[in-house]
Amino acid sequence: MTGAVLTPGMAALVLFGTFFALLVARVPVAFALGLACLPILLSEPRLDSMQLVQETFNAYNSFILLAVPFFLLTANLMNIGGISDRLVHLSRTMVGHFPGALAQINVLLSVFFAGISGSSTADAASQSKLFIEAQVKEGYGLSFSIAITAVSAVLAVIIPPSILMIVWGGVISTSIGAMYLAGILPGLLIALAQMVTVHVYAKIYHYPVYPRSTLKEFFVSAWQSLPALFTPFIIVGGILLGWFTATESAAIAVIYAAILSIFFYREMDLKRLYHALSETGRLASVALFCVGTASAFGWLLAYYQIPKALLANVISWGMGITGVGFFIAFAFLVVGCFLDAIPAIIIVGTILQPLAASVNMHPIHFAIIGIVSLAFGLVTPPYGLCLMISCAVAKVPLKFALKDTLIMLVPMLLMLAAIIIWPEIPLILPRLIAPELLK
Amino acid sequence: MRRFVDLYHRLLTWLMVGMIAVLIVPVTLQIISRYTALIPSWIWTEEASRFLFIWMVMLGAMIGVREGTHFEVDVWPTLSPRAAAALHLVSSLAVLVFALVFVWAGFQFTRFAWNRVSELAELPLWLIHVAWPLAGLTWTVFLGEKFVDNIRILRGKTTA
Repeated sequence: MTGAVLTPGMAALVLFGTFFALLVARVPVAFALGLACLPILLSEPRLDSMQLVQETFNAYNSFILLAVPFFLLTANLMNIGGISDRLVHLSRTMVGHFPGALAQINVLLSVFFAGISGSSTADAASQSKLFIEAQVKEGYGLSFSIAITAVSAVLAVIIPPSILMIVWGGVISTSIGAMYLAGILPGLLIALAQMVTVHVYAKIYHYPVYPRSTLKEFFVSAWQSLPALFTPFIIVGGILLGWFTATESAAIAVIYAAILSIFFYREMDLKRLYHALSETGRLASVALFCVGTASAFGWLLAYYQIPKALLANVISWGMGITGVGFFIAFAFLVVGCFLDAIPAIIIVGTILQPLAASVNMHPIHFAIIGIVSLAFGLVTPPYGLCLMISCAVAKVPLKFALKDTLIMLVPMLLMLAAIIIWPEIPLILPRLIAPELLK
Repeated sequence: MRRFVDLYHRLLTWLMVGMIAVLIVPVTLQIISRYTALIPSWIWTEEASRFLFIWMVMLGAMIGVREGTHFEVDVWPTLSPRAAAALHLVSSLAVLVFALVFVWAGFQFTRFAWNRVSELAELPLWLIHVAWPLAGLTWTVFLGEKFVDNIRILRGKTTA
């Protein structure tokens, strides 16, 4: 630190103080992050407000982030192109005879969807429209329906492909292919935890059941969905074989979804296409604009070496890998309550990386703990994007579905604990399939 | 006046949709050129896609202010329309400060790039940098419209 007027402590106080004060005044998060930089930029003689513009420019001038609109577009194309309908039908033949049938279908569809789209917000938006009203009509509680839709949507960023893993790979330089493989098992375990939760709810509240489908219905439905189910293999396989980069794989997913919608399922028209494009643009740019101001904020933190000061203490506690794992998960869960996942990776991920490295935690293990915790942050108040979207679709305030969401989070948090305690859960698949990526 | 703002809003939305629709092209060309001999492996595809992307983000961020879709954290209980309008006025003022910074610093940013061209595609850089002052100006216009609405509610002229 050469020639800075403010001490790191003061700078941290100004940055975080201004940020939280603005949040309370209901200033949008993206603008609050940018505005919090201003007092510092104006009081340091070596910096000026140009820095804010320059840092946001640098953040958007990134080939990696291009994957965000592509993944959102893939999801939107699937919805207008009839792919989602086929997957709903397939899910019904598989879990329709379980108690709480429609809610089980909701979770299973999220798993399929997660394998095609890398965006939880897109999943929450489309499935809220698909399921919430339908579930209430069949006698499920509204709060339960909102909560299960929102918590199952977080699977989209844990099961590959995943926007968060691409951003993580870009910011903390970790192999995206290895993270994709590592996310599969934790994602399926969390989905299992959610299905058990639904089962318990269904038994207590006597939720309805559909008649069991025949094996033939299942095979017919699986056959129809096969082209869509093939998407994750193209994306993950293409990256592992080195055919294309992560961003290019997202573009491939868009093209594949478009081809399926136009030539195979034939349900797309121009009006729907325009709608899909404008929805994609709106959601992607609002989410990404925040990345720019978060980068400026993170840049200032690094300028004052605040992360180092914060962590000096924690490292001296002498925790082991498991202790550090829980600390990292806790930090991401708390931050996830106030920040969107991408800016959280940029600001907090980079802060915590030296801590993870100091105890020799495997970088992939670190990444999966971080991403799963941040994914849970998508449904934790006050700033849980997926929960906000589901509540907005159901036209109720966030508080309405809070209790059921928190109940459903408990088994999910247990799964997170298991991932922290047993690094083998995320690491076994990459070890078996692509051991060269783990080095 | 409001009709003019509506029209401008629609224009920005169209541009944003255009950006996304075109965005897929350079990335696809990049992949095709690597595996086939159909087209030469152009060096500008990566840069062109980044620049389209920047414009998409900035255009979307502009219309996001008018549509109120920039995410905010809600820690307040349900407020009366007047209290909500007052709070809205405060937060709009903060965003206005941000918008003016973007106008001022963005203007310098654009002037700074006036004579420079991009490294690979050799596009004039100001074409990209100008998105920042434009965003600042656009936000100022959209916020002005909101101020009028909120002050009306505060004075009790409309009930909304």
